[in-house]
Amino acid sequence: MSVRKRIDGWRWAGRVFLTLLLIFTVLPMVWMILTSVKSQFAAMQYPPQWWPAEPTLQNYVKLLDVTNRVGREFLLYFWNSLYVSTATTILGVAVAVPAAYAFSRFRFPGRTFLFFAVLLRNMFPAVVFLMPLFLLMRWMGLVGTHAALILTYLTFGLPLSIWLLKGFYDNIPVQLEQAARIDGATRFQAFLLIVMPLSMPGIIATAIFSFIGAWNEYVYAATFINDQDRMTLPVGIQRFFAEFATDWPGLMAATFLMSVPVVVMFLVLQKYFVKALTEGAVKA
Amino acid sequence: MTEALSDRGPLPTMTARPEGLLRQIVRHRHDYLYVLPSLIVMLIVIAYPIYYTIELSFYRTPPNLQMRDKIWTGLDNYGTVLSSASFRAVTLNTLIWTVASTGIAFVLGVCAALSLHREFAGRGMLRALLLIPYVVSAVAASYVWKWLYHSDFGVFGAMSVAVGLTDRPINFIDNIYTVLPSLIVVNIWREFSFAMIMIMAGLQTVPEQLLRAAQVDGANAWQRFWHVTAPHLAGVSMVTVLLLMVANFNSFIIPWIMTGGGPAGASDIWITQIYQIAFGRQRWGVASAYAVILFIVLMGLGYFYVKALTRGDRGRAE
Amino acid sequence: MNDYLGRVSGHVLSSLACLRRGTAATAALALAALPIAATAQSVDLSQWSPEYIRSIAGTATFDTAGDCSQIVPLDYTGRVSVWWTGPNDASPQIERDINDQFWAAWAATYPNIETDAQNVDYNTLLDKLRTSLLGNAGPMVVRLQILGGVEFGAKGYMQELAPEDVGYDSANFWPGALKSVTYDGAGYGIPTNNETMAFIWNADIFERAGLDPESPPATWDDVVAYSAQIHDRLGIAGYGLVAKQNAGNTPFRFMPQMWAYGGSALDENTDAPTYDSVGLNSPGAIAALQASYDMYVRDQSVPVSALTNTQADNQAPFIAGQLAMMIAHPSEYAKMVDLASLATGADQATAQTVVDNMRYGLIPEGPDRRAVVFGGSNIHIIRDEYVDGGLDEMAARALICFWTSPEWSTKLAWTGSNPGNLDGFRTEWMAERLDTIRFLDVTTSMLPNGIPFPVIPEAPEIMNIIIPDMLQNALTGAMTVEEAANDAAAKVEELLSGL
Repeated sequence: MSVRKRIDGWRWAGRVFLTLLLIFTVLPMVWMILTSVKSQFAAMQYPPQWWPAEPTLQNYVKLLDVTNRVGREFLLYFWNSLYVSTATTILGVAVAVPAAYAFSRFRFPGRTFLFFAVLLRNMFPAVVFLMPLFLLMRWMGLVGTHAALILTYLTFGLPLSIWLLKGFYDNIPVQLEQAARIDGATRFQAFLLIVMPLSMPGIIATAIFSFIGAWNEYVYAATFINDQDRMTLPVGIQRFFAEFATDWPGLMAATFLMSVPVVVMFLVLQKYFVKALTEGAVKA
Repeated sequence: MTEALSDRGPLPTMTARPEGLLRQIVRHRHDYLYVLPSLIVMLIVIAYPIYYTIELSFYRTPPNLQMRDKIWTGLDNYGTVLSSASFRAVTLNTLIWTVASTGIAFVLGVCAALSLHREFAGRGMLRALLLIPYVVSAVAASYVWKWLYHSDFGVFGAMSVAVGLTDRPINFIDNIYTVLPSLIVVNIWREFSFAMIMIMAGLQTVPEQLLRAAQVDGANAWQRFWHVTAPHLAGVSMVTVLLLMVANFNSFIIPWIMTGGGPAGASDIWITQIYQIAFGRQRWGVASAYAVILFIVLMGLGYFYVKALTRGDRGRAE
Repeated sequence: MNDYLGRVSGHVLSSLACLRRGTAATAALALAALPIAATAQSVDLSQWSPEYIRSIAGTATFDTAGDCSQIVPLDYTGRVSVWWTGPNDASPQIERDINDQFWAAWAATYPNIETDAQNVDYNTLLDKLRTSLLGNAGPMVVRLQILGGVEFGAKGYMQELAPEDVGYDSANFWPGALKSVTYDGAGYGIPTNNETMAFIWNADIFERAGLDPESPPATWDDVVAYSAQIHDRLGIAGYGLVAKQNAGNTPFRFMPQMWAYGGSALDENTDAPTYDSVGLNSPGAIAALQASYDMYVRDQSVPVSALTNTQADNQAPFIAGQLAMMIAHPSEYAKMVDLASLATGADQATAQTVVDNMRYGLIPEGPDRRAVVFGGSNIHIIRDEYVDGGLDEMAARALICFWTSPEWSTKLAWTGSNPGNLDGFRTEWMAERLDTIRFLDVTTSMLPNGIPFPVIPEAPEIMNIIIPDMLQNALTGAMTVEEAANDAAAKVEELLSGL
């Protein structure tokens, strides 16, 4: 009897905590959506309208309407972001997976140093790198191209990706590969056919982090890309609401639309990720 | 045709004999291929900028001078940075910002992961909702919260008046005392779910049997957590805290977009200060010196952590 | 107007310098660019007044293609790249239409010049230019706001350029504007447009607060008083103070106040400034700072968010009737009309009331004088070695001739500014503007009160960082008003003494 009471206490504490946390998380987004359906003046009132007196979808229509220039620009930025983020993700995974495997399994000279060097990148303030990286991209002839961004984003995501994947590989028993090698597989085959599939949850997690990181990045995209046709979403949105007007409802609508793809993608993949993770843990 | 055993890499049962470094490198040359792509990317995109920044930190580059006419000043820039009037205040801000954001986000994440660990109806949906702030871009989050905190039209200020808490709307970001805590709240809002999923993944590795055994033995929930769960979370926790700390130290977008380091520098952290000195005041040499100092501090922290982490790796390698 | 001979000889010297330095093409160009018709100044600045402006409008016609064909033949084949801050989505529709017309006319006049034009946001243009120049990846032509060019001129990024190089007469540009494109005695740009801001108020709010709806506050002390009265009676913000740090808006609105009280950053408010002495800790400067302090702290009659506000943040409250007074560009009226047209339902009525009651007046004067920042933009050519793909000088000059012609410098400045080329005031389009744009006569009449910011490379740092910091220190209470002023003065001294 007393055991049950104690469990109930923790469980209720957990529920209260989660409720508060949920409110904390969701409230800003709710207010963002509420603002985005207000007309511009309705937002500029004190005390504010708790619920919009005349909700309007005009801000969204303006952004998504392909026939008007705003809509076309928005969709262009959207497409650019999609392209850059996807490319970064694919390349990031392709580069991080073998590296993480090597750090997990092998012992070669300089291993600790390299492992540490991978983390080094994140420690240097990214904004200071703006100038030298620009010069570097210039030297490689990549200024103003998406390739410059992809290359830069790769290095942002690599440390975390390698950390994550290394953790997954650490959890996969060596015996599986050993068994495969005794059966005649080369080390690379064992890696490719046995280990990689088992680390799918990790790879997916890596992919998600890479994609989101690239999608949301602002500072480098603003510096490397001047051509309006090549801009990504965060930079493009800044353009909409530059110095001479702060259209809060429009801005809220734009940020909502900018967040939707990543959130949706994440929600869809997240279930798969957790499912695979659970199964992976059970198997291990 | 059977290959020699050595061509397929040594099996774990062989004992390693001490051998020269060069021979080690040669023997492991295939291993390097796995890291080669990462290595190339890192070398190009990291090594050169680091070198450039360190080099530039020894020069003086005022606004009316071309970069190629920069003047050698040795360690003067470092002296300027360390002795500047604002350095102490900005350092304090940075410490508060980093420690508070990291600590609170981590604790929230752990609590959330623990609360979500047991199955209940709607758990998946709840978890997904809680993850949204992490996924939303920092730029978007900054604008949304800037609007929430707005001193004249913001909803938080209005709510505090509506419930009778204060006479005038609370001033969050136009006040030198409240601006930093307000920004920290935004940072935590964005980051706690990252800690949450990291810990959740770690919780998966805690063996159920141990927990049940402990329960049967009469341990209460807290004891179960502290003695069974927590040790299994140590590795993941360290990684999470380290990553959060590094990210927060260099977190630029939220302070920059929300307040630009103001008012009166009350929300200036090292990274916004560096940006201002470099791009606003065109003192690239000083900014580079500042960046190097920041880097050294972080490196010290990171080294300590990585040492602790890689200690456990020996058993897994061949 | 004054120093015609000096200008001509200066020009001849610079053309000779071109000959010595440049290629044969440049030499030919320099010879061709000697004043074609050495006329005296066509617009008499000493008579400047709303009546004079009206009297000269529509009195002359110009053939842009014909004029520019004398500099660069119309069938010239080449390429040109240009960066500038053009209209964005927040700009009035008419500005965007004129922008489209400009590029269409350019393509029609010089069909064989391949053009790459990038419209870069105001806040990021300087950063982008600095970064690109470091990598020798700059554009050939760049149009920068008036304070922006001196840093690049000082570093030698820009090619020498004077109105005569594109067929116009230096006498036809404001002396203050030409001052802003002169460094070390040489000119390196041409003014495209010049404007000064004006004082805007909502007559309806004035009336409801018990003030005379048709007259603006005459002095800055009046501004403080009016702001307090409006806030006390109606509970809304009076004056739209902006004090964001690291933002160009702030000095543009605070310096007129400071100059009015007799203060200054350096000695830019004198007739022949040498930029050697600091004026931030003078009694005038302290008085100006005190006025802002009174409004923000003592009376609390301005938006609390002033510390993080730029002018953009004033627009929405103004059109919603939540703000009474502000200092803004001539184009603000067009912007308000646009915002009103987007309003729906009940907001429509509110917005329309504001638009109907919007008034423009002169910037208030102070104990010392009436002053306003002499603003505008200049267009420059970047030197060949810093340009991405090399400089096509003929194409660049053609574009600049086109851009700074009386016709296009007037049209491109339609809602927001005034032609840099004073001949623009004599065109038919100026007459049309005077008829269709409300308050244009008021905003143009402030031009003689204009004071340009110090023309030194350190000016952006002084104006965009040190002055806002001073405001913030005083307004947040981090320092007293005197301390803040002295602190700022010390910082400027230190800045100027280095190198």
